[in-house]
Amino acid sequence: MMDQKPLLEARQVFKGFFGNPVLKGVDIALRPGRVHALLGENGAGKSTLINLLSGALQPDSGTIAVDGKPVGRFSPAAARASGIAVVQQELSLTADLSIAENIGLGAFPRRFGLIDYAELHRGVRDVCAMVGLTEPLDMPVADLALGRRQMVEIAKALYRKPRVLILDEPTSSLSAHEAGILAGLIETLRDRGTALLYISHRLNEVQALCSHVTVLKDGGVTADQSLSGIDGEGLVRLMVGRETGDLFPPRASANPGALRVEVEGFSAGLVRDIGFSGRAGEIVGIGGLVGQGQEDLLLGLYGAIPAKAAKAEVSSKPGLPANVGAANAAGLVYVPADRKHEGLVLPHSIASNLILPSLGRLARNGFRDRAGEAGLIAELAKRLTIKGDVARPVQALSGGNQQKVALAKWLPLDPSVLLLNDPTRGVDIETKREIYLMLRGFAAEGRLVIIASSDTPELVHLCDRVVVLREGRVAAELAGEAISEEAIVGAAMGIDRKGAAA
Amino acid sequence: MSAVKSIFRNPPLLTFVLVALVWLIAGLTLRGFGAYGHLRYLLELAAVIGIAAAGQTLVILMGGIDLSVGAIITVTAILLPLISPAWDPTGLVGIALALAIATGIGFLNGAGAAYLRVPPIIMTLAMATFLQGLLVVVAGGSAVTVSNPAVILLGQGRPLGVPSGVLLWIVVSAVVLALIHRMPIGARFLAIGANPLAARLSGVSLTRNTLILYALSGFFAGLAGILVLGMNRQGYVGIGDPYLLTSIAAVVLGGTSILGGRGTYAGTIPGAILLVTTTALITVVNASPGWRSIMFGTLILALLLVSGREARR
Repeated sequence: MMDQKPLLEARQVFKGFFGNPVLKGVDIALRPGRVHALLGENGAGKSTLINLLSGALQPDSGTIAVDGKPVGRFSPAAARASGIAVVQQELSLTADLSIAENIGLGAFPRRFGLIDYAELHRGVRDVCAMVGLTEPLDMPVADLALGRRQMVEIAKALYRKPRVLILDEPTSSLSAHEAGILAGLIETLRDRGTALLYISHRLNEVQALCSHVTVLKDGGVTADQSLSGIDGEGLVRLMVGRETGDLFPPRASANPGALRVEVEGFSAGLVRDIGFSGRAGEIVGIGGLVGQGQEDLLLGLYGAIPAKAAKAEVSSKPGLPANVGAANAAGLVYVPADRKHEGLVLPHSIASNLILPSLGRLARNGFRDRAGEAGLIAELAKRLTIKGDVARPVQALSGGNQQKVALAKWLPLDPSVLLLNDPTRGVDIETKREIYLMLRGFAAEGRLVIIASSDTPELVHLCDRVVVLREGRVAAELAGEAISEEAIVGAAMGIDRKGAAA
Repeated sequence: MSAVKSIFRNPPLLTFVLVALVWLIAGLTLRGFGAYGHLRYLLELAAVIGIAAAGQTLVILMGGIDLSVGAIITVTAILLPLISPAWDPTGLVGIALALAIATGIGFLNGAGAAYLRVPPIIMTLAMATFLQGLLVVVAGGSAVTVSNPAVILLGQGRPLGVPSGVLLWIVVSAVVLALIHRMPIGARFLAIGANPLAARLSGVSLTRNTLILYALSGFFAGLAGILVLGMNRQGYVGIGDPYLLTSIAAVVLGGTSILGGRGTYAGTIPGAILLVTTTALITVVNASPGWRSIMFGTLILALLLVSGREARR
């Protein structure tokens, strides 16, 4: 297998933006029948390399070669014609079109100049079966949960029968079940001779699926080798370039304080009639398959969606917060999963984003205190090691740094309860560690941290207690030694286990 | 070179430079254009647009639009002479009442947008249509002459040779600029305009800010209505109509994003002056009203291409 000719190659490619070199002489070769992992922290140049391989960008120097032959001007159209398909991290679906129309978009089978829907559905049915999409093909994509949309995105790439398939963090929004289907699919494609490039921050997936790895660091290749004989720690070492120790900070001995949140008969959105509580100094995890009501539980407690409860006490006050303002006043803050659309005002500066929740508090006589604001912004940027000019738009930052801004803006409010929705999604490993340390620190300071996560190891190693939701109800509540990946996944899938109260 | 570049990156400045250029060229080539009296007259006309566009700027910054600006100007101009009480020699009571009504109409716009979740473009358009119908019923289509002394002073007075309308505009500009750039509420408007969901989850109340915003827009439209009334000495149905398109055009000419979240009133000020200048230049050309309108529309489009270019997002 190894001596087969590469289908797609980058040879000594250089690429810079506005004078900043992003890729400095990178080589990568994708061979048929091999799953190739591309690792690197955020900002290491992974996205740029993918854009070069898919023709979205042109290298400043160096060549892209298809079937061993260098191509002059590589365009997205030329890449598609050569059988290269990319599943982007950011979904590129059109919400109002149906599943079938989205999958066929740009490659519609035609008859007399019109879309041949019968033919389209025939082709689409095949790829949907491969990715386990059972929804009706004429269903609008808008009605699908995020994880299902991701599967449509993958089906869309498969519909073009690619020889080279590039998957950029395909599992970040998938449930464990869907990730399993994808893993099977990747193996099938590999056995059929497709060349695959797999980008993920989840190292266990990389170890399970991939046989070869290229590691990028600061725009250069630090490793290009077979994965056999390398364990998780070895992978991390390759990425960070040094010993990392444990990703997760040591768990302090659980010493929960006063009740901060207690609800009974709580319903909000998908959540139906559940009980939930959290104490000061605790990190409470919320797990489950994607879209089982985890987000609605957080939003309901935050007053952002209508919620009701038979009995509720939040921050020693009876009743749920009526709106976000009331929740903030009660010391609750929320960091959304979708930081680009919900967490940050992307076109505005880092400074404006950091100051937004504190505007009213800092104002004097109705006017903004510019000096005070600047001081606070500088302090926050320093505390969260957000580097560079805070006047830059926040969209210029990498995913990990954006997440830090989304979290940092709440710190001046001295929150007593932090509601976090998947705070490490799409975040590089170094920033992950920083965030975990910070959350531990919050708990040690006597704050309650409630964290919904799709990353099971995170729940296991970070949380003092884990509540698993299934179809809007509590499927299991695990504490201490009882928290394990098996217990969480089992409860999430609805498998009856010892100690899992329905 | 870099100075030219920085001008192009700063839409308000670019619009100012454009105004200066047009004035310079027109002043050198057209007899009478550069006369102090003529320029003063242009500023006086621009003041009405500028004041009406003050509210419009705020609304557009927050991602909305107010199509009832023209109708509110008309309502104020017609109602003020009717409701000014005879026992008040200063006329200030009538002004206060008219402004309260205009603010109230704006508040209703905001309530419709915030509570009934009617899109602002529909809410304010429906409000404009409703008001126009109401005026025909109330005023019966005839013009109303104003005798309120404060309004006449505002429209005709020239302390130290400067029209009081222009002075009013300067005050309005200072207030609006402070509101956008020096007060928390301005930063909140901008955040809502750029990303309402993120703003709401950051604790910014959409309801409260929408109500305040449209009430402010109504207030400024009312102020413009009073000024127009004072300048014309009479109010009639349709008096406010020209100010709907011009208030929006002035905002966009000043480089404020029609999508919300980005811009400043500092651009709207030269935007209003540029609009009035354009109209004046077209009037100089001897053309029929139809052709004048066509030229005006074409010129607005051309000016937008130069100064109000929308950055792609």
